[in-house]
Amino acid sequence: MNPTSPFSLCVIALVALSLLGLPVGHAMIAGSILYLYMKGLDMGTAAEQLLNGMYTSYLLLAIPLFILAAEFMNSGSIMDRLLRWCNALVGRFRGGLAQVNVVQSIVFAGMSGSALADAAGSGKLMQSLMTRDGKYTPAFAAALTAVSSVLGPIIPPSIPLVLYALISDTSVGYLFLGGVMPGLLLGIVQMALIAFTARRRNFPVEPAVPLREWPRLTWEAFPALMMPVILLGCLYSGITTPTEAAATAAAYALAVSAFLYRSVSWRDVYHSLVTSARITVSIGMLIAGALVFNYVITVENIPKTVAALLQAYELSPLTYLLIVNVILLILGCFLEGTTILLVIVPVMLPTAHALGIDPVHFGVVAVVNIMIGLVTPPYGLLLFMMVKIADVPLGDLVREVMPFLGVMIGALALITLVPDLVLFLPRLLGYKG
Amino acid sequence: MNLLPKAGGWLQRRAENVIAILLGVMFVAFLVQIVFRYFFSFPVGWTSELTVATWLWLVLWGSAFVLKEKEEIRFDLLYSAVGPRARRVMGILMAGSLVVLYGMSFPATWNYVTFMKVERSSYLHIRLDWMYSIYVIFLVAVIVRYSWILWQLLRGKDPEASDSTAVSSGL
Repeated sequence: MNPTSPFSLCVIALVALSLLGLPVGHAMIAGSILYLYMKGLDMGTAAEQLLNGMYTSYLLLAIPLFILAAEFMNSGSIMDRLLRWCNALVGRFRGGLAQVNVVQSIVFAGMSGSALADAAGSGKLMQSLMTRDGKYTPAFAAALTAVSSVLGPIIPPSIPLVLYALISDTSVGYLFLGGVMPGLLLGIVQMALIAFTARRRNFPVEPAVPLREWPRLTWEAFPALMMPVILLGCLYSGITTPTEAAATAAAYALAVSAFLYRSVSWRDVYHSLVTSARITVSIGMLIAGALVFNYVITVENIPKTVAALLQAYELSPLTYLLIVNVILLILGCFLEGTTILLVIVPVMLPTAHALGIDPVHFGVVAVVNIMIGLVTPPYGLLLFMMVKIADVPLGDLVREVMPFLGVMIGALALITLVPDLVLFLPRLLGYKG
Repeated sequence: MNLLPKAGGWLQRRAENVIAILLGVMFVAFLVQIVFRYFFSFPVGWTSELTVATWLWLVLWGSAFVLKEKEEIRFDLLYSAVGPRARRVMGILMAGSLVVLYGMSFPATWNYVTFMKVERSSYLHIRLDWMYSIYVIFLVAVIVRYSWILWQLLRGKDPEASDSTAVSSGL
């Protein structure tokens, strides 16, 4: 490729500006403007692509609404009730509280589409519960919250799967269904690892909750436990669009916190709106930049070129998937996940398509990779968040994360090798792929 | 004396009110849409138009006036690894390039947005140049903001250290 061609310069500018510390969204817009200028095209095209793209991608509205739903959930006392219920379920085993942490994340994953929201919501509470009386080391507790939060966007609802649906033109409903079993599998391998090390590390056991307490605890947590049912019910019965299902989820979360648990004030609602809006702006700017940059990618026909290039190597679908896994895992160590999803994955898609890889399977594999990237050093947003919440050194945290990373990558390999793990549920509900 | 920072803080809070209101309006419009369609079997179109409009304005307004640089998603491994001197040079290069490139695109952007006056939105009949004017506001705000950062850095002020925990990612 000619290094002084407009496209090369556009990519160089994008990478250079990002490395200099410019927000990635701006870097993509600025790089694209440079491209338009070099090509002698109308520089108003950047505005046109951004505005029309944002204005017509109705599906994207699910993102702020899912964020809002998670914020409403976090602002009420829902988390306390959920934790008591999880404790009744698995607290009695060795390493009980550690297991509670994972089960809580699985349940919360069914209500929220964001891993960082899960860690922010339960992180502090879980940390103080687990480290009280020196039960667990702070680093282990923090590492566990980080890795279990990874499940949030794999089990539906999921913000990254909504983004993937947008770039790949795949049904959100089937993608969500495809995430269920991989998400549970990741939860199971984490719980298995805890059970396996519990005796050696002498993890404590929580006092068993008597059976007669169970109905009351379940009743208290019931409205929260119903959230995934309502959300997925809305989606799969076809009553609402995915975006409307997200709005319903947010409304339900608000109603449960406000009326049933009476734990939300107007101030909390306003605070949730501001927090959600800030996150929306941050991710929205990245989407805006990607819309402009994707125009350049399309004009230059890059994905097709890459696909043609790779065709010469006569890769098998499996080899290609494994290569994709390795690339995404490495990128996940250095880049923020949304950037990978919006910039790198679209380039990988046409080849996957040409090789006959199922788009739902490919999407779930890509998202699991990107989520694992949230806990891989040196750059892992969940690690940074837990360092802040738990006040533990990054090195100690990373050491405790490593074994979990191992089993999660094992589970990822299984998900990659056995497409049925992803596709069984979507096919059961009518997916033809 | 301290009127300028005070006024700045006040404006900052009002700008934050705006994004909260925009998101609130989006949320309520969705609820109205769902209620009308499924309970009264009366589909309304204006709500979906209102929701995409709030989304567009929320993102561009928020990026222009509310979010701090360190809250936005960026690649800061290199930026946080170097000393303040190198960081200052990096900041000058970055802010300078952005101001030049965004500035270059301004005339064509202005033409595009003002040209959109020929179209109106389908339900609320809002002229699209008004709807899209937020991009012009965004562009001007970003140019002013980064010119200010550039000016500060050129005058020898040390750049902000990065803080990866402040990043608001939706993942």
